[in-house]
Amino acid sequence: MKRRLRAWGPGLLLVSPSLLALGVFVYVFLGWNIRVSFTSWRGQKPVYDWVGARNYTELFGNERFQIDVRNLAVFTLVFIGGSLALGFCMALLLEKGVRGENFFRSVFLFPMAISFIATAIIWRWLLNNGSGSSTAGLNRLFANLGLEFLRSDWHKTPSTWAIAAIALPAGWALSGYVMALFLAGMRAVPEELREAARVDGATEPRVFWHVVRPLLLPVLMSAVVILAHISMKTFDLFYAIDQGNLRIDTPALYMWFTTFQPGFYARGATIATLLLFGIAVVIVPYIWYSIRSERRQ
Amino acid sequence: MIESGSVAGIRLEKVTKRYRGGVVAVRDVDLTVEPGEFMVLVGPSGCGKSTLLRMIAGLEEVSSGQVLIGGRDVTDELPQQRDVAMVFQSYALYPRMTVKRNMAFGLRMRRTARVERERRVSEVAEILGLEHLLDRRPAALSGGQRQRVAMGRAIVREPQAFLMDEPLSNLDAKLRVTMRSQLSMLHQRLGTTTVYVTHDQVEAMTLGQRVAVLRDGVLQQCDTPQSLFHRPVNLFVAAFIGSPSMNFVRAVVSGGVVSFAGVRVSLPAGSPLAGADRAVILGIRPTGFSAQSGEGWPTLTIVPAIIEELGDERFVIFELDAPRVDTDETRAAVDAQSADDALLLPDERARFTVRLPSEVPVSAGEPLELAINPDRLYFFDPETGASL
Amino acid sequence: MSVTTDRVVVDEAVGAPARRRRPRWAPYLTTARYLALFLLACFFLMPVYALIITALKEPAQVSVVRMWELPTALSLENFRIVWPDLQEGFVNSTLLAIPASLISSMLGAANGFVLAKWRFPGADFAFPLILFGMFIPYQAILIPMYDTMQRAGLVGGLDGLILVHVIYGLPITTLIFRSYFASISDEVIEAAKVDGAGMLRTFLFVALPIAPPAFAVSMIWQFTSAWNDFLFGVLLASREYWPITVALNNIAGGQTVPFNQAMASALLASVPTLLVYVVLGRFFMRGLMAGALKG
Repeated sequence: MKRRLRAWGPGLLLVSPSLLALGVFVYVFLGWNIRVSFTSWRGQKPVYDWVGARNYTELFGNERFQIDVRNLAVFTLVFIGGSLALGFCMALLLEKGVRGENFFRSVFLFPMAISFIATAIIWRWLLNNGSGSSTAGLNRLFANLGLEFLRSDWHKTPSTWAIAAIALPAGWALSGYVMALFLAGMRAVPEELREAARVDGATEPRVFWHVVRPLLLPVLMSAVVILAHISMKTFDLFYAIDQGNLRIDTPALYMWFTTFQPGFYARGATIATLLLFGIAVVIVPYIWYSIRSERRQ
Repeated sequence: MIESGSVAGIRLEKVTKRYRGGVVAVRDVDLTVEPGEFMVLVGPSGCGKSTLLRMIAGLEEVSSGQVLIGGRDVTDELPQQRDVAMVFQSYALYPRMTVKRNMAFGLRMRRTARVERERRVSEVAEILGLEHLLDRRPAALSGGQRQRVAMGRAIVREPQAFLMDEPLSNLDAKLRVTMRSQLSMLHQRLGTTTVYVTHDQVEAMTLGQRVAVLRDGVLQQCDTPQSLFHRPVNLFVAAFIGSPSMNFVRAVVSGGVVSFAGVRVSLPAGSPLAGADRAVILGIRPTGFSAQSGEGWPTLTIVPAIIEELGDERFVIFELDAPRVDTDETRAAVDAQSADDALLLPDERARFTVRLPSEVPVSAGEPLELAINPDRLYFFDPETGASL
Repeated sequence: MSVTTDRVVVDEAVGAPARRRRPRWAPYLTTARYLALFLLACFFLMPVYALIITALKEPAQVSVVRMWELPTALSLENFRIVWPDLQEGFVNSTLLAIPASLISSMLGAANGFVLAKWRFPGADFAFPLILFGMFIPYQAILIPMYDTMQRAGLVGGLDGLILVHVIYGLPITTLIFRSYFASISDEVIEAAKVDGAGMLRTFLFVALPIAPPAFAVSMIWQFTSAWNDFLFGVLLASREYWPITVALNNIAGGQTVPFNQAMASALLASVPTLLVYVVLGRFFMRGLMAGALKG
C-alpha cells in the first residue's frame, strides 16, 4: 500500500490543482446552475428558494422558447447537413492528391481561425436583403452574375427558415473542419487495403464503397457530434449578425438576454440546464465511445 | 577498468503476480541467482518470464512473496530505489538526448559527480566501440548501435545486477549471433549478476550459466544448459529445449523392453524402468538416431517424407506407425518455437525428425534403415508428464 | 501521375480485368475536379475579397451596392479611422491570450503526462470527466461563474478573464498532451524509472524535451480560442479591459456603422489569428484533430 502511494502519489499531486479547478468550474458550477433553475431568483440579488419544476413548465409554455427550439432545430439540420455535404465533397476532391492541395486545404480551412464575431460582421453585409437599386451583398453578386433567381431575403425573411441563412456563415466557418476530419479519415485507410481490393477487380467507386466508407463511419460520427454541440451552444455568431432578430433567436441567446438584461436568473439557468442536457445527450455517448475504442487498441 | 560496485545475488521467494481479475502471471517462484551468475529465464510467450524480470526491477508490483537483491528485501521499493539496470527489447533510449547523455542519465539521477560521470561514460563507450557516436541522437543510430548504447547505459551505472528483457530480439538474425557472443564476453569481463529473458531457447542455452524454464507462470526447471538438455524434468522442458524438438511417441515398457510402432528396444542396464510394466511417452532426440547400426542397436525402417537440407547435415522427417503425442505440454512448447512442422502433414500419426550427416544418402520415398541409440531415450509419465 | 501508370502496368502483369483500365472520360473527370475545387475556393474567398477590397477603398468611394467592384485607388484611410477604437482591445486581447495559452498549456502538459504515463488509480475515470469540460455549453456555468468571480473580486479586469480561459482551456490542452505522450513507448518511461528518476524528473528530463510539437499545437489552439472568445469577455471585462472581439462587436456591430469601417475593423481584429494560421497551419490542423478526440 505504501509502495503504491509512493508510486502514483506524485502524479496525483501534480494533477490535483487542475482536477480541483475543473471540479469547481465545471461540475460544481453545473450543479449550482441546475440548483438556480429551481429557484425564483430574479434581479441582482441571488435567491435560493425552491419552486420545484415551475421554471421548466413555464419555459415549455413560453412562446419565445418554443420558437427558439424550432429555430435551433432548423439551424442544426441545415448547418450539419450542409457542412457535412460540403466538407465531405471537399475531402473527396482532395483525397487523391491534386496539384495545389495545400493551397485548397488552407483556403477551405482558414475561416476556422477567424472569430465568430468577425465572421458575423463580414456576413451581415453579405446577407443584405435590400432590393432594387439598393441590392447589395450576395444578392448584388448574383445580379452581377445573372443569377437573380438566387436572390433571397436571408435571415430577414418572415419564413420559419430564416435562421437557415445563418448556416451559410456557420458552414463557411466550419465545413473546412469537416473536410479536415474526412480527409484524415480517408488517408488513414491503408493503401494495401485498397490495393487488395483493386487486385480483386474492384472499380474505384467500389473500392470507396466497400473499403473506405466503412472506415469513415467513426469520422462521420465525430463530425456530427461536434457540429451538433457547436450549433447548440453558439451564441456570438447570431448575436453579432443581427442582435435582437427573433427569427434567428436560439435558446443560447435567449439565456443570455433573459439573464443579464432583465435579470431573470432562474429562467436563464433553466434554459442553460436544458442546453446542458441537450449537449450531454450527444457528447457523453461520444466520449464514452472514444475512450472505449482507445482502450481496445 | 569498469567493475561492478558489489557483486550481489538475487533471491526470489514464493514470488506471485496476480492481476486484477484473478489472472495469475507468476505463481510461487523460488529462484536464486548467485552473485555474478548469468541466469536466463526462458519459456513460450505468456509464460511470465518478463513479468518476473519486471518484478525484480520493481516495475511490476509483487502480489505476494519477496524479492531480495544483495540480501536486502526490496519487495516494497520502487525501481528508482533499487540498484539495478535494465536493457529493454526496444532499447528505450531517451529520444532527445545524445548517446552520451543517454548513458550518463542514470548517474545524473543518482547524483554522481560530473567528472566521474564523464570518466565512466568514456570508458564504457570504449569497451563497446561507441566513442565516435557519443554526440549522436538515437534516431541517427542503426539498430545494432542502439542496442549497444542501451547496453552501455546499463553498464555505466555499475549496478548490482543487469536485467535484460529480450535485448537481441529486434536485431536481424546475423547481428543477433554476433551480439550474443559479445554479450558472453562482456559478462565474463564484468562479472555482474545478470538476469536475461528470452523466448529463444538457442539464445538461452548459449548464454546462460543456468537457465530457468517457465511455463504458465510456474518455474519448471532451473539448471545448467547441459542438464536441461540431458535431464529434463518433464515433457514440457524436454519438448521446449533442443532444436529441432525432441520426438515423442506413446510406448509400452514391459520386461525391460520398450516397444512402439512395432519396434522393440531393450532398456540399457540399470534403467529405473527395467522392472516396470506400464505405458509411457517415449522421447528420442533427432540426434538419437544413426544411419549405421552399431553395437547391436535396434533398427527401424522408415520412409522419409520431407528432407530439409542444411548443407553439412540434413533433417529427415518421417511418419511412424503410431498415434501422435499431442498433450498440452508438447503443444505449449512447440507453439513457442515456430510452429514449423505443425501443418504440413496433418495426420494423426506421429512424426519424427532425425538429424543425419549429409554423407548418408537419403531421398524422399526411399526406405531407409535407422538405428536407435538405447542410451538416448527419455521416458515420461503419460498422465503427469513427469520424467521417469 | 507516374503512380497511376505504374499501377496500370502492375495490374496488367497480374492479369487484372480489362475494366480496370482508365475510362475514356477520365481526363474530363480531372478537369471537373479542378473546376469544382476552383468554385469552392471562390466561395470561401468571396467574403475575404469583399472584406479586403472594401477595407482598402477610400471612404468616399464606398457603397454597399458597389461592394464587389474593385477600388479605383487604394487607401489605408479606413484602417486609420478604426484603429484608435480597436487599439485598446488589441492590447487587452494580447495580454489575455498569451498568458492564458501559456499557463493552460503548461498545466495541460503536466496533466497529459500523468494521465498517459504516470497513471494513478481512477485516472481512467478522471480523464472522461476532464474531457466533458471541453464540450459543455458555457451558458450552463455562466451564472455561478459570474457570481463566484464577482465575490472573488475578479470581475472587470483581465486577471479573472485569464483565469477562466486557463481553466476552461485545460480539457483540450490535457487531451492534446495526453495523446502526444501516449505515443512515447512505456519502456522509455520505465527506463527512466530504473535509471533512478522519479515522476517529476521523468516528466522534466524525458517527456518534456519531446513535447515541443504538442506545445505548438496547444499554444496555437489556446491562443486562437482566447483571442476569438466573446462570451467570457463580454461578461467579465469592463470597458477598458474589453478584448478585441467585444470591442469589434461594439464598433462594427451597430447598424449605423459605415460598411467600410466595419470591414476594416474585422480585418484588423483577425490579423493575429490568421497570421498564426498561415505561419503555423500544420500545428493548427493537428489541434483541430485533437478537438475531435482523434489524437
